[in-house]
Amino acid sequence: MSESQEQIKIRFITRDEDETIHVSENPLYVPVSLKRYGLSEIVNHLIGHDSPIPFDFLINGTLLKTSLEEYLKSRELSTEAFLTLEYSRAVLPPDFLASF
Amino acid sequence: VLDMANEDDAAPRTLDEARDLWRHSDLATQDLAANLCEQLRLILEPTVATKLRGDYKTGKRLNMKRIIPYIASQFRKDKIWLRRTKPSKRQHQIMIAVDDSKSMSESKSVELAFHSIALVAKALTQLESGSLSVVRFGEDTKVVHPFNRPFTPESGAHVFQWFDFQQTKTDIQKMCSQTLKLFNEVKADADDLWQLQIILSDGVCEDHATVQRLVRRAREDKIMLVFVVIDGINSNESILDMSQVQYVPDANGNMQLKVERYLDTFPFEFYVVVHNINELPEMLSLILRQFFSEIAGM
Ligand SMILES: [Mg+2]
Repeated sequence: MSESQEQIKIRFITRDEDETIHVSENPLYVPVSLKRYGLSEIVNHLIGHDSPIPFDFLINGTLLKTSLEEYLKSRELSTEAFLTLEYSRAVLPPDFLASF
Repeated sequence: VLDMANEDDAAPRTLDEARDLWRHSDLATQDLAANLCEQLRLILEPTVATKLRGDYKTGKRLNMKRIIPYIASQFRKDKIWLRRTKPSKRQHQIMIAVDDSKSMSESKSVELAFHSIALVAKALTQLESGSLSVVRFGEDTKVVHPFNRPFTPESGAHVFQWFDFQQTKTDIQKMCSQTLKLFNEVKADADDLWQLQIILSDGVCEDHATVQRLVRRAREDKIMLVFVVIDGINSNESILDMSQVQYVPDANGNMQLKVERYLDTFPFEFYVVVHNINELPEMLSLILRQFFSEIAGM
């Protein structure tokens, strides 16, 4: 499946007022190799949207720009942590959005 | 094979601190331990009515299979009688394997874990019919109380010394494969020895497929694995609500995202989820009864 078999427990939250993009805050066990794209895919899967919405992810107020694995490494955290990921609609240049 | 905790090794907790923790857990589980012990006695001790068996010179009933040899041997092979014999007491080897990983403290399962160790250890000690071992696991797997040593209140404190729930991995696969080896090594004259492992953990672990293979192998070796999932009482999340994200190839070999209930792929067949120490005796005896009834039917 991916280079790393390791998984981590996460939870998604959002402050978006649009309730149609809210997901359950129950824990999810996911591969640590995930980056923004994969995380967006999961949120979209949970929402059940036809047209996928690109999302940005914040952990403790910091925008996630790497994989979860690299994030953990940079914070000296292990996969034993329970991460809360706050998502919001991605703010991206239009041409990038088109290729998403 | 397995790492043993030596006195000189640096345990993460001082003995004084561990003694206080043991005293606390001991008090909290006193009545429960007596109750669990009674339930275990009913489950583990043979309840089948005494059977006629054996080859004796005198007895209650003739053993028909011995008659022909008896005549053929010119009446020399005269052990032709069956007697009622008392069922022998089953010998048990029970190992408690406790998750020492950091997720245990993150999910506030520490106190429940300590109480569970105390409860199970005391109940088994009161049973007086087998030997007890305690193993801790996380990144490593370490025997913190070996089978060949009696379990005393002081042993309880020594065991608690080895738990600080800070290990940065939960390698259940390693724990299973190493403890299975240990079980097989200590298996004496196999027949009447029951080997049981009770795993106490928050249940969050990777690679369910590999662990499941080990669980099956244990079963073939007649080693019973029972998993007690300690579900944090103070936190607002539960393993029962947890989902797992996996990627499985579709017909064209493309990876497809799949979200399923975490416990649906949980590799242990016999498990219970416990939120409170008061639930443990009932849950544990329930799952053991289920286990033994299935074994009896095999
Ligand atoms: Mg863990």
